[in-house]
Formats: sequence, C-alpha cells, structure tokens
Amino acid sequence: MNAMPDSMAAARLDAILSVSDLSVRFGALMAVNGVSFDARRGEITSVIGPNGAGKSTLFNLVSGAIRPSAGRVVFDGQELTGSPPHQMLGAGLARSFQITNLFFELSVRENLRLAAQFLEQGRGLLRPVASSRVAQQRVDELIERFRLERKQDELAGFLSHGEQRRLEIAVALAARPRMLLLDEPTQGMSHADTQETGEMIRSLAADSLSILLVEHDVDLVMSLSDHVVVMHQGQKLAEGSPQQVRSNPAVQSAYFGDAAHA
Amino acid sequence: MGEMLEWLQFVLAPQVINGASIGVAVVLMALGLTIIFGLLDVINMAHGEFYAIGAYAAVALLGVGLPFWWALGLTPLLMAVVGYATERTLIQRVFHSKERHTLTLLLTFGLAIIMEDALKIVFGANPLRLEAPISGASEVFGLFFPNYRLFVMALGSGVIAAVWLVVFRTRLGAMVRAAAYDRHMAASLGVPVAVVYAGTFAFGVALAGLAGVLLAPIYSVFPTMGRDFVLIAFSVVIIGGLGSIKGAVIAGLLLTQVQSISSLYISPVWSDPLLFAIMVLVLMWRPQGLFGRLGHA
Amino acid sequence: MREMTVEPMVLSPSVTGRLLRHPIRSLAWLFFGLALLFAVVAGIQGDVFFFRLATESLIFGGLALSVDLLLGRTGLLPLGQALFFGFGAYVSALVLKQGLPSFWLAMAVVLVSTTLVGLVAGMIAIRAKGVYFALISFGLAQVVSKVVFNTRELGASDGIIGVPVPQISFGFFTVDAASPGGFFLLVLCFSAALYAVLAYLMETPFGRQLAAVRANEHRVPFLGFDPWRYKLAAFVLAANVAGLSGAFYPMLRGFVSPELMFFQVSGNAVINVIVGGTGTLIGAFYGSAVLTVLRSVVGSFTAHHQIVIGVVFMVSVIFFPKGLIGHGVAALTRWQSRKEGA
Repeated sequence: MNAMPDSMAAARLDAILSVSDLSVRFGALMAVNGVSFDARRGEITSVIGPNGAGKSTLFNLVSGAIRPSAGRVVFDGQELTGSPPHQMLGAGLARSFQITNLFFELSVRENLRLAAQFLEQGRGLLRPVASSRVAQQRVDELIERFRLERKQDELAGFLSHGEQRRLEIAVALAARPRMLLLDEPTQGMSHADTQETGEMIRSLAADSLSILLVEHDVDLVMSLSDHVVVMHQGQKLAEGSPQQVRSNPAVQSAYFGDAAHA
Repeated sequence: MGEMLEWLQFVLAPQVINGASIGVAVVLMALGLTIIFGLLDVINMAHGEFYAIGAYAAVALLGVGLPFWWALGLTPLLMAVVGYATERTLIQRVFHSKERHTLTLLLTFGLAIIMEDALKIVFGANPLRLEAPISGASEVFGLFFPNYRLFVMALGSGVIAAVWLVVFRTRLGAMVRAAAYDRHMAASLGVPVAVVYAGTFAFGVALAGLAGVLLAPIYSVFPTMGRDFVLIAFSVVIIGGLGSIKGAVIAGLLLTQVQSISSLYISPVWSDPLLFAIMVLVLMWRPQGLFGRLGHA
Repeated sequence: MREMTVEPMVLSPSVTGRLLRHPIRSLAWLFFGLALLFAVVAGIQGDVFFFRLATESLIFGGLALSVDLLLGRTGLLPLGQALFFGFGAYVSALVLKQGLPSFWLAMAVVLVSTTLVGLVAGMIAIRAKGVYFALISFGLAQVVSKVVFNTRELGASDGIIGVPVPQISFGFFTVDAASPGGFFLLVLCFSAALYAVLAYLMETPFGRQLAAVRANEHRVPFLGFDPWRYKLAAFVLAANVAGLSGAFYPMLRGFVSPELMFFQVSGNAVINVIVGGTGTLIGAFYGSAVLTVLRSVVGSFTAHHQIVIGVVFMVSVIFFPKGLIGHGVAALTRWQSRKEGA
C-alpha cells in the first residue's frame, strides 16, 4: 500500500470525477491537451475560458461523445475513458447540451418520459407506456419542479428559448444521475432567466448532486461555483476557488489579452 | 515464360482494355452522381434513367439519319437542358424542407419510374442494337483492340480530364466548389447560387447521357438498362467517397478492372454481387469512402 | 427565392395527445369494416377475381406496413424490403411444395428463417445512416434477386411453380386456401392482427424509443439507450412482417418468381406508404388498396400503369406529403373542432 498524505487521500476519495491528462487531437490541432482536474462530490465545479479554449470539447470527451487520443476519465471509481455515451448514464453521468438538443417534434411530456424511462431499467419495454409508473411519476415531478405544467403537451419545438433551456436541463436530470454536466445552460438567456437558472443550479447542488458546469457568464460562475477550472487554448491554465482564480494574473491576461486583440 | 507472356497478351490484356473502356463510361456516370451529391446534397435516383435516355436519344437521332458523331455531340446538350429543367421544377420545390434528403431521394425515384415507363412507351420493351460507328481493330503492342473501344477510352479520358480542369483550375469551378462548401457565403460573395445549382445538376445529367451514348454500341439499349447500371455507379461513388471527384475516377477505373479481371475466374453472375460486397465492406470500414467531399476534394 | 416549407411527412406519435390518436384508430376500424363489407358483397356475388385482387392488395399492404415501420417510425428509408418479401414467398413455396403442404409449418419456417436473414442483413445495413442505408438495402435486394434469378435450383427466371394449395386448420374449422372468399378473410384477419400488434408496440417504451431515434438519433445515447439495438430490432421486426406477408403469396397464386424481389416491388411498397400516409401504419393498407385499384383500372386500358403510379406518387410527395391518412386526419380534426365550436 502506498503511503499517501491523508489530505490527498481524502481529496481523492471525495473526487467524483477524475480527469487525468486528457487529450484529443483533430488533425493537427490539439483541441484538448493534457488536461487534469478533479471534481468533488456534491460540489459545483465550473470550467471557464475564452472562446476556443476547448471547454465544449472537454465536455464531449467526458460524456463519451468523442474518444480521447490520450488520458483517462474516472467517474465514481469507474473507468469511463472512451466509453460510448449510452453507457454513461448507467454509470451515473448525464449531460445537457449547449445547442438545445431536444426531441423537437415530440411533446414536452414525451421528452421527459423518454429520459425518465431509463429508471425503469428495461422493465415494461413491451407494455403500454402508461404502465411505466416510475417513469410517469418522475415526469410529473420534473414538470412541477421546472414549472412546465402549462406547456407539458406542447411540442418541444414550440417552447420559448428559455423554456427549452429549462427542459434541456430537466431531460438531463430525469434519470437521477449522480453527476450532471451542464453545457452553457444559460446560453442565449435573458438576465432574469439567467438568475433563475443559477438559483435552480444551486438548489440542485443542495440536493447533493455533483455538477460540472461550462459557462460563459463569468459572474454567474463565480457566484455559484465551489471550484473553478480555467482553460486556455486546450490546456488547463489555472484552478482553484473562485477567489483564487479571479485574482490569478495568468487568468486575467488570458481574458483581457483576448479582449485587447479582438 | 512464353506461356506467361501469351497469357498476358491474349487473356489479360483484352480484359484490361475492356474493363478500361467500360470503366471510363462508369467514371463519367459516377462523376455526374458525385458532383450532384457534392454540390446539391441530392441523391439522384434517376441518374440511371438519364443514362438510358442518353442511349435512346442517340438511337432516335441515328434513326432520323444523323451520323453518330452528331448524336454524340447533341445528346449531352439535350440532356443538360432536361437536367436543368428537372432541377428548377422539381428539386427546388423540396430543397428547403427539413426532410430534403428523403424527399429528393423519393422525388428522383418517382421520376425514375416515370422515365423508365415513358421509354417503354416510346421505344418498346425490346432491346435495340446500335452499330459501332468505328469498326475494325488496331494493333497496339502486338495486340488487337476494337477501334471503337479505343475511341471510347480516348474520348472518355479527355472528358474526365476536362472536368477536372474546369472544377479545379477555372473560376467557374471555384464558384461551384465554393457553393458546395458554404452556400450562404458563396451567395453573399456574388455567386449566382440558383444558376450554379441547376447548371451543376444539368452537367451531371449530361455526363450520364454521354455515358449512355458511348456505351450504346457496346451494350444493347433497353428500358431497364439504367437501373442495372446505376448500382455500379452508386457503388463506385460510395467507395470513392460521396462528393469526391478524385474518388469517382480512381474507384471507377479500379473497380471496373476488378470486375473485368474477375470475370476470367468467376461466373459473370457474381461480378455485380462482388462489387456490391466491396461497397458494403468499404461502408462498414470507412463510411466516408476512400476520399473526401467535393468542397475539399 | 421563395422559401417553400414542405410539411413534415410523418405524424409523430404523441402530437397533441387525445385529439389525433382517435382519428387514426377510427380510420383503421373503417378500413377493416369496409373490407368486411366488401367480403360480404363479393361473397354473395360468388366473385373470384376481385377476391384474389383484394387478397393481393392486403399481402402487399403487409409489405408496405413493414416499410412504414422503418420509414415512418424509425426514420430509415428501406429501398429493398422486397428482399424479405420474396424470401418469405420462396421459403413458403419450398416448404409447401417440397416439405409438407402445411400452412403452419410454412409460417413457422418463414418466421425463423426471416429472423435470421433479417439479423444478418440488419447488422450490415444498420451501421449505415440515412442515405447510405437506403442504398445498401437497395443494393442487397438487387444482388440477391439477381442471384436467385440465376439459380437453377430455385427455378431461375421461371421461379417455382405448381405450389400445392394448403388447407389451413384451426382445430374446429378449416380454411381452404383455394377458396377466394375464405382465403381473403384469413389474410384480412392476419393483416388486422399485424396492424394491431404494431400499433400496440408503437405505444410501448420500445416503440417510443424508435420514434425518439427518428426525431433526434444523436440525443438518444445520452438518455442511456443504444440506438443501434433499437434500429436492429425494428429492422428484424420489419423483415418478419415483410416475410410473413410474402409467405401468403404462393398460397394465393400457386407460384413464386424472382420478380417478387425486384426493385419494382420495393419501390411500390414505398409509394404505398407515402400515398397512404407515412407513420400512420394503417396508411400502408389504404395506400396499397388505392394503388391496386388504380393499377387495375389503368391496366385495363394500357400496360403502362407504372407511369400513372409514378405521377400520382410525385404529386403526393410534393403536394400531399402527409398522405391520405394524414390529410384525412387533419380534415377530421378540423371537422371535430368545428363541431365543438372551437
């Protein structure tokens, strides 16, 4: 047994998501280059960085949408590197999308039901949909929580942008994951909606859900997060508490440097 | 050693030449298909029928007493007009729908049904034979090759080279490639996208028609000739890469050689299944085909 | 350029719940009711020809149903479904002629063999998306039909003739396949059963997953499901529907030929679905019936009925993309809401 300092061991145990040396290359470009960090259980960990930093690519790597060229992803003790996306939910990891990726021609209820069906664990696959009690109950819960009662029979494509973004999160949440990857949840939202979303994320974390958040809205990130990872040009630039990151000169120059050359 | 040379000379070489002459026509068909897909994102299920119409047009023109060379020159022009009209009246109707891929596939499929039956009505269901305009054979490296086949290879190669030049070395070609790569950008840069689309479709159809005329004296002409031939063309296009000109040329020449040489060893019944099996394998192992899309080809 | 929005072709399963589901079901009841009415009338007249024609329409309707399962519900366009139809027909003919003239045996053998063939074909074809799937299924059917055409043991271009007509025993009564009315009713019951099973399946989580795959395949894995498995299951199911429908063909006509696998048959099946209404399931039978009648009527004037079918098809695709049932349902819905004073 290797001797490990207690605090490190504790931190390791506490990490629900462990990313080590993760890299992927697209042709000649290293979109993500040797990124490592831990996200701790029950916390809100945010990934920020200027445009093109590789945040979405990182998300895609962690959620199985693309396969890494190198590195590892370990979730809750389980090796998930390179696993296809449909195995992620089984491990307890769910994600939402930056560009709303719902079933637009299906109703809100149906979107949620499809997502909640996972809870049935393959039972009732060939029985009428109404008999999947567990799933139906979960749908009702989510509709109430995300305030979609009035629109529940509406086609998802006809919802307002803010409602769609809410539904996007609800769908990701439906199968009761242990960790939620939120990809720019407030994308395109009004200020009021953004605040509301922030509240909702906070309440989700209060339910001991671990959250990995990619966001552009730096103020929101700073107010919500327990831990922040800063990316720049595919690499991890800095990490730490919001305070630490905010006062980090390298981070400042990465953001301001971009603005200066814009 | 002498036996080997003889085999090369009298068994293999004729097959290679045969394969090459067919191959050139297959490449013309495949070029038309791949250009239409590369630019318009349309799977032209009627491509085989345009090929058949080309052959029948030649028959008709010869029937009114025109010499073969006139038919050879006129038919592609006629086909281009037909293609232009088809694109404007039919394809454009469904082009902006979300289900464009399915719809254009279905539309061209419906068109194929109509055209095939129309050919049957006008020309009858019996196969027609067309006299080769050049008879006799020439001696090349001690081997005899039918002159007409040599001509087909020469003309076909010339057309293929011309297509390559136009697409990659002229302004017109640059416009087409730009429109394939990014339609809106091209439009805002002043490229007349609607005309480019219709013109490209017309061009692809003209190539099919040309292939039809060229092959008419080799195969007989019958109403369902398009459907048999189109599978080969599609296989070539898929193996070469949907939208890739280079792919169409290389895959077309290569695969007709495979078919031609394999016919020495296996019954001709299996030559199409062989091609199809190769296509399926390529699709499974490398779904984008051997080479890339028109925009980057 | 005028932006033309073409209406969506498929009616989603859960579109505004109550109002739409009943019209389709009513139209399904209507179809089978009309079919029974036809049987009574034709039976009284002692007719043979129309019974056989109607039976054929139902058999090809079953093939169209298999296409709708893939196209309208899973989002896969199959251009070679005749492969399974013809396969079922040939297997059935072989069992009846060279095994035992037993209906149940033939059906059982077709069921098992079609499942196997469907699995193999599916594993090849399902990997491909969209257009590639259509082309692979097209190619598979072309190739197999050519091979069958050239295989002497299977009768080559003549096919298998002289297939004995079976007696179908249900324990306490028997249906003679040679009896036009009796066989028609049998096939009608079979079609109704097929429709009922598929319609039921579409309202189960399995069926809804297929709809999800059609609506947004990309998102499905992130919901924890592997779309490949569902597509394969749908493909094998469709192969079975097509194969079992095909199995009835030699019992009706006494022979099978390679034409049953030709592209024309696959193409007509797609046309039947689109004219009838993609995604409605019952539309497949309506489409098949309407086009059989059309073909028969036009065919009595000229041999070139395909051109008429082609034109009808293209008109349908451009102007009536929702098909007979789709537009019928829309009309019914308008009538219903007008009645309710909406």
